[in-house]
Amino acid sequence: MFQQVLFSGMALGSIYGLVALGFAVIFKATEVFNFAQGMFVVCGAYLAVTAIAILDLPFPVAVLFVLVMAALIGAVIQSTLIQPLAGRPILAVIMLTIAISIVLRAGIEIAYGPPARTLTTPMPSGGFAFMGLMISKLHLTAALVSWACVILFGLFFRYTSIGLLMRATADSHEAATISGIRVNTMNRLAWGIGFTLAAIGGVFLGQLQIVSTELESIGLLALPAVVIGGMQSIPGAVLGGLLVGVIEQLAAAYISPKASDVAIYVLLLAILMVRPWGLLGQRGINRV
Amino acid sequence: MSSATTSSPTATARPGVRPGLGRIVLLILAVAALLYVPTLLTERAIFGHRLSNMQLLNLGLTQINLMLISMLGALSLNYLMGCAGLISIGHAAFYATGAMAAAVTGTQLGWPFPLVLVAAGVAGGVVGALAGLPSLRVRGLYFVLSTMAVHYMVTFGFLEYQFRVFDVVGIPFATPSLFGFELSTPTRWYFVLLALVVLTYWGLRNTLRSREGRAMLAMRDHERAAVAAGVDVRVLRIKAFGLSSAIAGVAGALYAYYLSNATAETFGINFAIQFIAMIIIGGMGSLAGAIIGAAVWLLLPSVIGGMASEIGPMPGLLGSLLTEHRAQFVQLIFGVLVIVLLIFAPGGLVGLAHRFKALFGRRSEG
Amino acid sequence: MSALLSIEGLSAGYHRKGLTLEDVTLPIGKGRIVALLGANGAGKTTLIRAVSGVIDLHGGSIMAGRATFDGRDVTRMSADRIVRLGMGQVPEGRLVFKTLSVEDNLAVGAAVLPRGRRTARLDAIYQLFPRLAERRKQAAGLMSGGEQQMLAVGRALASEPRLILIDELSLGLAPLIVKAIYDQLKVIVAEFGTAMLVVEQNARLALQYCDEAHVLERGRIVLSGTAAAVAGDPKIRESYLGLGEARQGDAA
Repeated sequence: MFQQVLFSGMALGSIYGLVALGFAVIFKATEVFNFAQGMFVVCGAYLAVTAIAILDLPFPVAVLFVLVMAALIGAVIQSTLIQPLAGRPILAVIMLTIAISIVLRAGIEIAYGPPARTLTTPMPSGGFAFMGLMISKLHLTAALVSWACVILFGLFFRYTSIGLLMRATADSHEAATISGIRVNTMNRLAWGIGFTLAAIGGVFLGQLQIVSTELESIGLLALPAVVIGGMQSIPGAVLGGLLVGVIEQLAAAYISPKASDVAIYVLLLAILMVRPWGLLGQRGINRV
Repeated sequence: MSSATTSSPTATARPGVRPGLGRIVLLILAVAALLYVPTLLTERAIFGHRLSNMQLLNLGLTQINLMLISMLGALSLNYLMGCAGLISIGHAAFYATGAMAAAVTGTQLGWPFPLVLVAAGVAGGVVGALAGLPSLRVRGLYFVLSTMAVHYMVTFGFLEYQFRVFDVVGIPFATPSLFGFELSTPTRWYFVLLALVVLTYWGLRNTLRSREGRAMLAMRDHERAAVAAGVDVRVLRIKAFGLSSAIAGVAGALYAYYLSNATAETFGINFAIQFIAMIIIGGMGSLAGAIIGAAVWLLLPSVIGGMASEIGPMPGLLGSLLTEHRAQFVQLIFGVLVIVLLIFAPGGLVGLAHRFKALFGRRSEG
Repeated sequence: MSALLSIEGLSAGYHRKGLTLEDVTLPIGKGRIVALLGANGAGKTTLIRAVSGVIDLHGGSIMAGRATFDGRDVTRMSADRIVRLGMGQVPEGRLVFKTLSVEDNLAVGAAVLPRGRRTARLDAIYQLFPRLAERRKQAAGLMSGGEQQMLAVGRALASEPRLILIDELSLGLAPLIVKAIYDQLKVIVAEFGTAMLVVEQNARLALQYCDEAHVLERGRIVLSGTAAAVAGDPKIRESYLGLGEARQGDAA
């Protein structure tokens, strides 16, 4: 029982980690605490529905469609809405992201209608027994793909020259500007990546559950994940996501299904009180 | 609710102009208008002259009453965020606390309504002061998250309480009576709620004008300067949080009683977010802004609905927006409105009004 | 003769604070070291911000006048574009990328170059500042102020600029280190033909190294000339070099 719960927690946690990674990329680059990240997850699920169920694209093309559209939408949101508010108080920026999620939700519900959709892809389904555990293939795929994306992003961020420019921009916008970096381009890129990572998470969450705007609340678990892991830390976001997934499943299994949210937020509050910079964050970075 | 908006010019008199006769007349007219609202909306006529539904903006007294309750929430949140400078996404939690306290004292123990309201206020205030404690340790974004954590804890408590004592339908609330005056009709509710809103507005305004209030505004603008001036910002913060949540607690109890039922879902995170949206629409840091924001938020949906049925069936996108997807359409408008205001008018509608006034003032001078 | 950078009648200021810089005209020729001297608050940093296009990041703007770099109007051009045109900057407070290694800092500077030219350029910088080569892998934020200043110069140099704007290089650094860096600036000019606009509070120091100097007082240029001429001006001798009747504390 415990191992079973742990497995599903870690599988879901991997997806949360991916979404949280997207969140952290956006936060590191633009210092925007993005409450719309949950809605970005929903957008990803609906992009997949559009590609597969509506446009009837072959699966690889559909994947490409989701990735490209997600990156585009993220970049467009940054340049049209986020950039004009650069340097404004955090409440204005937080509220802007909340308003973006309200608009996205309303737009999706108008465009696709309120009833939930199912998302079926050629990804493996069913399950198999392994060391006494029931392993769901879809959960396993989700976890593996999430980790692949995390590693891919890590390599990109650390070892490519664009990754270097992104890290430089995240370090200091002014220093980046005077080094000839197009800071706005980097910020758009960060939002594009952040949105895309959330969208990939959404594609899996949409398959594991059902595609509706209610997926937002699952996507929003990225927020506590990032804070628990450490707001300025990329590995912290992934670890935080994993932890949130495991805690959610444990609380649901051993306390009550209603207790999963509160368990996560109790941990969040404890972290805030004891170690506000997060598990993997660095002390002294609490200027935000 | 055009009558409420006509009253606001009196509240924001031009600086330097003494309260003259004109102002007193305006005030009396505003009071008369406010008192006439229930008659207007229940008889659907003005001085015996019938008005169409559209002339009344499709408004009913129930919307007005819900708006008044929301005004309490918006006022208290704007006091906290706009004036004390503490950002909170936990306002729904204090509504829920108030509703829970009302359920225990009112529904379960059968206390008289005024005492129930007091209990709701105390409970809201205590939980609020506790929720403000993290402000001693963390700032900014981290504090926002701690209020979110408080939100989930309180709503979890509400859920547990609701399911242990009551059931999935929710907590029932009886028709309250205030010293023998039974709040059985929307009109009766209206006068009680109106009195409470006026009282809250007046009370908060005086608090802001007091020595402590000014210290708080100083704390919001220049925390270091306030500390240097010997203001204990930590105590001020907790106090502001307590006061704001106490008002929200009372509002929560009123809300539950008005709807005669409350469930945990009522007080979700979106419930909290709507109050933030209200004060952004109305104007951050301005009590009048809270009033206007709550009015826009609560009345616009019904106005749009009225317009839709007035215009009749329409083809195309707009038609489907106005009929099939009206709720989503309203949300879309609100979302866009908030975004536009944030980008172009950070002071909200009140800020815009001030800007226009300054513009016209300059024109008439030059 | 056409200057590399020519600033003509430039006025600039910050939001609601009036003009910080008024009608400044200043040419910088190819391969010249030009010093801009003046007391705290005279407008030196504002001039650098205005010319390099970062003034809007600090809530200011250019009100009048123009700046031409290599024949192109760069007034109000975006800062990153100006850098890519060949005008580097060593900003006030150094502003190295604290979380990045020395190597990465320099790589960011060189990123505007075509791929093939980067390595050679970085090698040249390591030769100028061997200290940076020793600390290649170290996070810039953990280095001493002097080393960070070297890194800031190196980063600006990495993009093969024809002009570098240097703001208060000596601020908060030990005299010995400052001298070492200034010596290297001379080498840079000799080796690469890079022109420099050096903003400096320490007039004595700057006048030792520059070809021409301009003195800025309350936003206006009050004196211009060759280094020798400016150093010989009686008013400068008294108020900036402390060589009047009462000798003040020894500057580096």
